[in-house]
Amino acid sequence: MRNTIFFGVSIVAALLVFALARALNNDYLFFAGYTVVQFVVLATAWNILGGYCGYVNFGTAAFFALGAYSTVFFHKTYPLPIPVLLVIAATVSGLVGLGTGYLTLRLRGAFFSIATLAMAVVLQTFVVNWNYVGGSRGAYVIRPSDLEVFGVKLPYIQYLFLIMLVLAAVSIAIARAIERSKLGYGFATIRDDELAAEASGVPTLKLKLIATTLSGALMGMAGAPLPYYIGYLEPASAFGLPYAVNSIAMPMIGGTTIWFGPLIGSLLLGTLTQIATVTISSAVNLLLVGLLLVGFVIVAPSGLVGLLQQFLRAAAPTRVDARAVGLIMFASYGFIAGLLEVVFSLAIITTSPDSIGMAVAVVGLVLAALLLVSAYGLMTLQSRSPLLATFAFALSIAIGAVHIWLDPNSSVTYRGLGIAIAVAACGWFQLRNVRQLYQPRLTDRQAVA
Amino acid sequence: MSALLQVHGLGKRFGGFVALDGIDLEVAEGERVGLIGPNGSGKSTLVNCLCGTLANETGTVRFEGRALDGLPAHARTRLGMARSFQLPRPFVSMSVADNLKVPLLYALGSHARHLTEAQADARCAELLGLVGLVDCAHKYPRDLTQVDMRKLELARAMAAEPKLLIADEAMAGLSHSEVSDIVALLIRLNEHGTTVILIEHIMRAVMHFSQRLVVLVSGKKIADGKPDDVIRDAEVERAYLGQ
Repeated sequence: MRNTIFFGVSIVAALLVFALARALNNDYLFFAGYTVVQFVVLATAWNILGGYCGYVNFGTAAFFALGAYSTVFFHKTYPLPIPVLLVIAATVSGLVGLGTGYLTLRLRGAFFSIATLAMAVVLQTFVVNWNYVGGSRGAYVIRPSDLEVFGVKLPYIQYLFLIMLVLAAVSIAIARAIERSKLGYGFATIRDDELAAEASGVPTLKLKLIATTLSGALMGMAGAPLPYYIGYLEPASAFGLPYAVNSIAMPMIGGTTIWFGPLIGSLLLGTLTQIATVTISSAVNLLLVGLLLVGFVIVAPSGLVGLLQQFLRAAAPTRVDARAVGLIMFASYGFIAGLLEVVFSLAIITTSPDSIGMAVAVVGLVLAALLLVSAYGLMTLQSRSPLLATFAFALSIAIGAVHIWLDPNSSVTYRGLGIAIAVAACGWFQLRNVRQLYQPRLTDRQAVA
Repeated sequence: MSALLQVHGLGKRFGGFVALDGIDLEVAEGERVGLIGPNGSGKSTLVNCLCGTLANETGTVRFEGRALDGLPAHARTRLGMARSFQLPRPFVSMSVADNLKVPLLYALGSHARHLTEAQADARCAELLGLVGLVDCAHKYPRDLTQVDMRKLELARAMAAEPKLLIADEAMAGLSHSEVSDIVALLIRLNEHGTTVILIEHIMRAVMHFSQRLVVLVSGKKIADGKPDDVIRDAEVERAYLGQ
């Protein structure tokens, strides 16, 4: 019952996003949005096996490409509507998931991951040598310019975006339903300790097969509309490294234990890489994602959700209060602003600027570093972090003011909003009960000594 | 008394090393059996073969008259054979109460006894009360002491409502009074009808607990009988004390 309500809510949320995008009426938004939402599906699907069961799959691209190539196959033999193609892709990738699972799940840890990587290579070789779907030359898929859905005439890209949104809502609802079910308990025991799980009556092999099948099927569905989206599909891009890296990085950065971890991670990274594509180049995306992944694995191995839960346990153990909410909001703002500042500064640097531009970029990078470090400090209750955060936000006010002064025509609203938030943040960090939270306390070792 | 567990000619090798060599063992329903032996004598391997964690190469294991060959560990647990591990292996990402819910959800499922959420919570509380972990229900395993971890290990095995409980060194590292607590707990459990095999090094506990004592040395069973007789057995003395 609760699952049905959640499913309804997520569908409504998806439709709202679609309505909003329609209202903004910008074609680029649909193109960029499609990619972001596609990664929501991939990250959620990856997390069912990788996050819940703890089996790291490096072969996301294979399942994804299988979905895409089953669409190419049917496009050539017997064109079918996309919802039917989704079901076919789910079946194909799900079956391959089941087969791979059966062959590889006796392997644990790194060996399982290597096997999934090998499977991706095998499948890619297979597709490269299959002439009917284009072989290594690739295949062109011409999409219709528009389509009637329930009597409404939609441009095709909007239709694809809508489908991807619904798919994202479905996969998130599935992930959440699993978490709260018997299956979720079983998955978690596999992640924690398979021997103990078996001893407690958990049929680990069966559950792992369910996970690989489900995860594979969802990845295949995410790939099914791809040929219509890009118009030209070739093996090297369909099986590309970015899909595998992103679908690992997004849940890891968001947090793997709960459904909104992959959601947050994919929205954040997906949007960031889209912005980087526009401002810098599409080649820099993987660099950004890789650096972030390395950073998170080192400083916050349980992801953003993990950081948040840790913070709430320490700062608001009984009840979530205004102090905690405010700090979370300002830290999140600092984190996002910091990431954007990195992208924008890099964008300036890559255009080989004059000395003023270079100075702006360097100051931007310093500000970004300060914001990121202070956001992390705020969340992990480092004793000097309010001071550092105040300094970082104050610097951002100064820089924002300089930007407005230098270039009063562009984005004054956003800069102004940023300055207003920074002022509020600086004030918030001076509140007495906020400062109290960050007072140094005895660590366990000191207490013992 | 009918035999609940019948082991016949059980053998297991690791490469050239013979870990178990033709073990014969019968455990009657309701019995309390102690299993002892020096380090490396094959006690844990025997447990692993009984529970399906390892596959035995020769011989058969019968449980309630049914041959268990090739049956995976989880299926054996569902038949009513539960174990605790020598080193506690809790599910680290779950609270103590959730740790117990796993066997409630999975091990009892096949007995057509599907618990409602309220029943499961009640059963959890009951089990935690039994082992004295009520205050720890919402803690995570990483916050537990070694003693509590062992109690959790036992409680989780008990949650599967086994007919046969195999406790693999449940008391290693515990204090005198804690050992007594656990022995009392196991005896109480046995009085409620659970057959128990206790693998232990602490002789005081084994002697107090066991109705019958089995001794393994180098993968062979060298003695099986009343505890007082067994520890006076010349071969057993030789194995433990050397010649």
